[in-house]
Amino acid sequence: MIALDFPEINSILRWKDIFPGFNKIALIAVLAVVISTLIFLLAVRQDHKEAPRGIRNLAETIVEFIENGVVMQTMGKDGLAWTPFLLTMFMFIYLCNVPGIIPFFQMPATARMAVPLFLALMVWVIYNVTGIKHQGVGGYFKSTLFPPGVPKALYILVTPIEFISAIIVRPFSLAVRLFANMMAGHILLVTFALLSEALFQAKDKVLIPVGILPFFMLIFLTSFEVLVAFLQAYIFAMLTAVYIGGATHPEH
Amino acid sequence: MPTAIVTQSNGHVVQIRLVPSESTEDTVVESAEEGTPTATSSSGEATTEVKTAPNPIAPETKELAWAAGSFLVLFVILRYFLFPKLKKGMDARYADIRSDIEGADQVKLSAQSDVAEYEKALAAARAEASTRIDAARQTVDNERTAQLAQVNARIATARAEADQQTSAARAAAQGEVAAAVAQVASKAAELASGRTPDASTVQAAVAAAMQSAGSR
Amino acid sequence: MEAIARLIAAEAATPADAKNTAAAASAGYAYGLAAIGPGIGIGYLVGKSVEAMARQPEAAGMVRTTMFLGIAFTEALALIGFVVFILLKFA
Repeated sequence: MIALDFPEINSILRWKDIFPGFNKIALIAVLAVVISTLIFLLAVRQDHKEAPRGIRNLAETIVEFIENGVVMQTMGKDGLAWTPFLLTMFMFIYLCNVPGIIPFFQMPATARMAVPLFLALMVWVIYNVTGIKHQGVGGYFKSTLFPPGVPKALYILVTPIEFISAIIVRPFSLAVRLFANMMAGHILLVTFALLSEALFQAKDKVLIPVGILPFFMLIFLTSFEVLVAFLQAYIFAMLTAVYIGGATHPEH
Repeated sequence: MPTAIVTQSNGHVVQIRLVPSESTEDTVVESAEEGTPTATSSSGEATTEVKTAPNPIAPETKELAWAAGSFLVLFVILRYFLFPKLKKGMDARYADIRSDIEGADQVKLSAQSDVAEYEKALAAARAEASTRIDAARQTVDNERTAQLAQVNARIATARAEADQQTSAARAAAQGEVAAAVAQVASKAAELASGRTPDASTVQAAVAAAMQSAGSR
Repeated sequence: MEAIARLIAAEAATPADAKNTAAAASAGYAYGLAAIGPGIGIGYLVGKSVEAMARQPEAAGMVRTTMFLGIAFTEALALIGFVVFILLKFA
């Protein structure tokens, strides 16, 4: 039989410093900034009069996806001012997710709690601030904690639930959703990679062909992670838009 | 699971050994600092196993700082420089396209009105042509009926003449036949009776006979 | 679960070890149990969405957006279970 030594969890999630205070996660975050800046810089430098081609087409497709797929679906026309913010968010998360399947990186930056935690806390601050700005302190807390159309007696039950859901659960679930999705994908990829490696190098020659099975699973999971990387970035941007939209326009 | 084996001797750290191979330097440092023995040994010199692996979920400050910094930099770049430019270009192109479409619509409208005018003119021309044709046909018809009437009249007069001639000829022939018959009858009566019959009687008899023969 | 914990405690050398072993043993249950509800939920949600899209293909875009939002909310429960698994196992 073979013995599979699964590596210690920190050794597949935590990375040594490349130079002090700068590790792989930081490198991925910086690269995400550089790549998205490059995409939009090259797009802007093209002539905007002709039909968009190449990189400008890509940039405009992303912008229109954010406008039509995220903003218009959740906030409507008033929310179009939020497009650059949501665009930044989408690009950053997507480019932090995608290194999870790129050779030599093999690590999504969002699989470390720091990145999603920062993003979720920022979204939390932003939607609370916009809510207070649009409705005033009293109006915002009244519309979130005392939703209209509920019988007065039920407020004893509804208000604590709304408070927990709007103030605590939202940023927590936002961060955990992204983080856990990416970390689970990363661990799955590691597991199947290790399993197929162990089987391919097994001393018992009978086991070597069996290694094909986890290897195919690895390929399938890699392509699945492509989808997950996109979907998580999309969902994060969309939930951000939903929360901000809910804060600016309270339900009547 | 990384295990830091801290060897203590009278409260002094003698040796720290980490079991997993791939732990970062952080781990070593943290384990040295935070490593507190969970189980105090009875003797002064003991080897205690201390679990000091950093939580894989806990966020790291440097990663948080780098992520926050890069995100904010990207946001500033996109929000204030690149996105407005890109959006302006897109809007300009869309406005161009829209105005082009509107121009095309106008051209189409004018073309449609041209077509309508042309069709109107065509209809007018057709109506005129048909009235002219009708008029021409009318005149042709009139002429024809007039000619027909003339011809008919001529034919009628000719026929009437011919009828008159034939009836006159018949009357003459009847008269001759009656005279001949009367002559023959008077002759025959003379031969039979030896006396000349009264001419009026013979004539009446012949007329009666011819009448009965004609009616038979 | 308590029985297992007691059994492990009897075997383990120290109380800390016993706690760790019990946590590691129950970590799997934590995730397994957390996955049941969201599994059913997501299946139901996607099935209904497909039904709606088949019935009204012109509303497919809106249904898909709402479906993804629903999946995100439902899936969060399973993912919290996964995080609890990691916490129990490694923390």
